[in-house]
Amino acid sequence: MAKAKGYSDENLSVRLADRYYRTEDASPDFLKNVEKIGMTIAHMCYQCGTCTGSCPSAPRSSYRIRKFVRRAVLGLENDALTDPDLWLCTTCYSCTDRCPRDIAPTDIIMAMRNLAFKREIVPRNFLNTVQFIYKTGHGVPNNDVNRAARVRLGLEAEPETTAKYAEFIPGIQKILDHYGLKDKADEILAEGQ
Amino acid sequence: MVDETKSQKPRVGVYICHCGTNIAGSIDIKELQDFAQTIPNVVLADEYQYMCSTPGQKKIEDAIKEHGLTGIVVAACSPRLHEPTFRTASKEGGLNPFRFEMANIREQNSWVHMHDRQGATDKAKDALKMAVAKASLLEDLFPKSVPVEHSAMVVGAGVGGIQAALDLASSGIKTYLIEKAPTIGGRMSQLDKTFPTLDCSQCILTPKMVDVGRHPNIELMTYTEVEKVEGYIGNFDITLRKKARGVLTPTEAETRGIVGGGCNGCGDCEQVCPVIKPNPFEMGMAPRKAIYIYHPQVVPLIYTVDFDSCVKCGLCVEACGEKKAIDLEQEDEFVTVKVGTAVLAVGYELFPVEKKTEWGYKRYDNVITSLEFERLICASGPTGGKVIRPSDGETPKKIGFVLCAGSRDNTGIGKPYCSRFCCMYSLKHAHQLHEKIPGSQSYLFYMDIRSFGKMYEEFYYRIQDEGAKFIRGRVAKIEEDPITKNPHVLTEDTLLGQPVDIELDMVVLASAVQPTEETNHVRHLFGVSQSMDGWLLEAHPKLNPCGTTTAGVFLAGVCQGPKDIPDTVAQAEGAAAAASIPIHVGEVELEPYFAMCIEEKCAGCGMCVNLCPYSALDLVEKNGRTVMQVTEAKCKGCGTCGGFCPGGAIWMQHFATPQIVAQIDAFLLGGEQ
Ligand SMILES: Cc1cc2nc3c(=O)[nH]c(=O)nc-3n(C[C@H](O)[C@H](O)[C@H](O)COP(=O)(O)OP(=O)(O)OC[C@H]3O[C@@H](n4cnc5c(N)ncnc54)[C@H](O)[C@@H]3O)c2cc1C
Ligand code: SF4
Ligand code: SF4
Ligand code: SF4
Ligand code: SF4
Repeated sequence: MAKAKGYSDENLSVRLADRYYRTEDASPDFLKNVEKIGMTIAHMCYQCGTCTGSCPSAPRSSYRIRKFVRRAVLGLENDALTDPDLWLCTTCYSCTDRCPRDIAPTDIIMAMRNLAFKREIVPRNFLNTVQFIYKTGHGVPNNDVNRAARVRLGLEAEPETTAKYAEFIPGIQKILDHYGLKDKADEILAEGQ
Repeated sequence: MVDETKSQKPRVGVYICHCGTNIAGSIDIKELQDFAQTIPNVVLADEYQYMCSTPGQKKIEDAIKEHGLTGIVVAACSPRLHEPTFRTASKEGGLNPFRFEMANIREQNSWVHMHDRQGATDKAKDALKMAVAKASLLEDLFPKSVPVEHSAMVVGAGVGGIQAALDLASSGIKTYLIEKAPTIGGRMSQLDKTFPTLDCSQCILTPKMVDVGRHPNIELMTYTEVEKVEGYIGNFDITLRKKARGVLTPTEAETRGIVGGGCNGCGDCEQVCPVIKPNPFEMGMAPRKAIYIYHPQVVPLIYTVDFDSCVKCGLCVEACGEKKAIDLEQEDEFVTVKVGTAVLAVGYELFPVEKKTEWGYKRYDNVITSLEFERLICASGPTGGKVIRPSDGETPKKIGFVLCAGSRDNTGIGKPYCSRFCCMYSLKHAHQLHEKIPGSQSYLFYMDIRSFGKMYEEFYYRIQDEGAKFIRGRVAKIEEDPITKNPHVLTEDTLLGQPVDIELDMVVLASAVQPTEETNHVRHLFGVSQSMDGWLLEAHPKLNPCGTTTAGVFLAGVCQGPKDIPDTVAQAEGAAAAASIPIHVGEVELEPYFAMCIEEKCAGCGMCVNLCPYSALDLVEKNGRTVMQVTEAKCKGCGTCGGFCPGGAIWMQHFATPQIVAQIDAFLLGGEQ
């Protein structure tokens, strides 16, 4: 916890508050939970940077997968779960392919997203995706541009998915309902945060 | 085995060691001592802070005399540590040392059950009961001495093997130095300079190589491999395969009656040979003929025919002329030599770094290994010391060095260990680059710089001062520009927290090292174990780093684990000293744990003879019957035969059936018979 120092100007107080990491700042169960949900050995990270070096997101954003692994190790739960970068992983698994310590950084991110969702910290576009999947079975539903492109390539306009077999949509909805995902998404979006 | 104490009722003394708090911290010593008093045959149960101390040992010595003890049990650490100590104490007290038995309540108990005091105490009681049961039945045994052959063998003639051989030979021991390659020198002769002093590698190695060639006590056998090892410490019979090299030395020529002939290294044959092959010494970057030497400084200076590629055209024979050195029909020869001890110094090879596909070795022209770089920058190398890009022969100005290339890797593809010299030689490579190519720039991609040796950190300082750029990030990927063939190194500068894409002219992979392919074969021949990662296993990592668990066999150099030249030489000197001790003493005591045939019970079936892994058993005729006979010096007491014999006719000394059964009874029945 940052130690307060008495500045009369409150802005200055905030700006100059010390930024030491103190062991009290660590959430005691964060690492354990991340490892359990992600089923990977986050604590074995030696911060080599192979993951960030492999990451297609990193050169185009401030997202650093290595830093998230570090936050897991140090128990920096709030920092990790409230950082919007958490949602910039494309789940390409390049980092997981190459990590020399045989860690699955991708699954660490997935675990953190899981925990963030439980605290209702989710970007709106992800929730919109949930709604799309609920409605159509697709995160990115087929559209006219796509259909035209498919036909041009000699394919059927609709792919072999719920786009063609809408009768399977209820099944998908059942799965999402089982986890209460749709309701939660609707609820959070309605709160308009 | 006449033995007056045997008829007597056993009188066992028990001693429990606290080992400070190592044992007393997790085991209730008082409870264990009270329990010991109740075990049958125990006449005295004592405890002490440190049994291995002088007062602790004195307790044993005094009690033997005072109480007429017939057996001693100490419950303490592992017998691998202090069995010899307490055996000596028993002997000082007047008891045969083999009447001592140890109960391990530290390594196998207090250290692993630190959080379960009662459980640990109960387990210690079991261990104690069993040890007393055995001590009650122990017999007097007498070790045998065997004479030691006054000669030694060193296998592998890299810098490690060379040093070990020179030391052994200089201490007056006849030494066979066996090298499978046509020349001695190993990896060190492939290096240009050596860190941190930057001595020319060949310049400091060749004097030693020449000494080896000249030393009156060294019999150098190159192009030779170990074929078979028989015997035991003091008396190894080692069969060697002298591979046909197709060329006679002057001495060999003379024995064939060719006076003044044999190879003098003139190289006339090489000029005319039409077959061209890559030279492995130059990492395949230079050609050699089918009749070749690796480089001009080889020891011995004798050409070799590569019969796998020779077309037997005979041109070389003609060119060689009157020297008559070349024999294209030569065949492998076998010789057997007798030695007292042996040192293994078989070195290492590079990990095939192309297995880490993300770095593109063997796919990208301008990505090379560190050993290739050594040859490229070496004045006697394939380019005369001119560093060039393989893709276009241009001089590279920006070179990246990728550290930990395949080391410290737990994916199952690379090696989990640190290869220990790559940090330092990469610093050296950066220096050599700055020195050779004006205006050049080096980039070292690293996770940690491990510069732990004497003057090594100072070397790191120096190279940084020369302008080397250090980027802390393990290389994620190398991509090649298809047009310029420039490699791009992609990683994260973890100190900035920023991904970087560094375009370079050439990349050098500081590849991990691994045991050579044949190491496993050699170790089986000599009965040496390997550690998890395949390197040869020392007897103890701290207290016996040159020895092995096979008596009389020692280790030197990288074959025991990655180490640089100073460490290799130091270990080689240690191994040579250790290997010379039994030879100078002249005889060794063999543990008397050999099998004995109880002839009345032996049916002469001979099934044990084939089971013995050490060929220690034979069938012989005795008093008109066929019975088994043990060659005691060959028997290692493994117990294979004793456990097998259907008639119970084999008595394993010190591990006899009644002794073991008594231990099992003590454990299962609490000592009831
Ligand atoms: C690129 C590079 C640069 C290096 N630079 C330095 C440096 O600057 N300074 C430094 O201190 N260290 C350096 N090293 C480390 C150095 O190479 C080793 O420490 C040293 O060579 C170890 O010597 P060795 O005798 O144990 O093994 P080796 O040199 O490998 O010798 C082993 C010998 O045994 C022979 N052999 C193998 N198997 C058998 C067999 N079955 N029968 C008979 N003979 C056999 C081999 O042919 C070889 O001659 C460098 C290593 C590399 C890869
Ligand atoms: S690649 Fe693995 S070990 Fe390296 S920083 Fe990323 S998670 Fe950690
Ligand atoms: S899985 Fe995510 S974190 Fe890993 S490399 Fe791909 S985008 Fe980056
Ligand atoms: S006989 Fe063999 S080694 Fe001799 S010149 Fe012909 S190919 Fe070369
Ligand atoms: S010596 Fe250096 S480069 Fe080599 S494996 Fe160890 S840390 Fe990596």
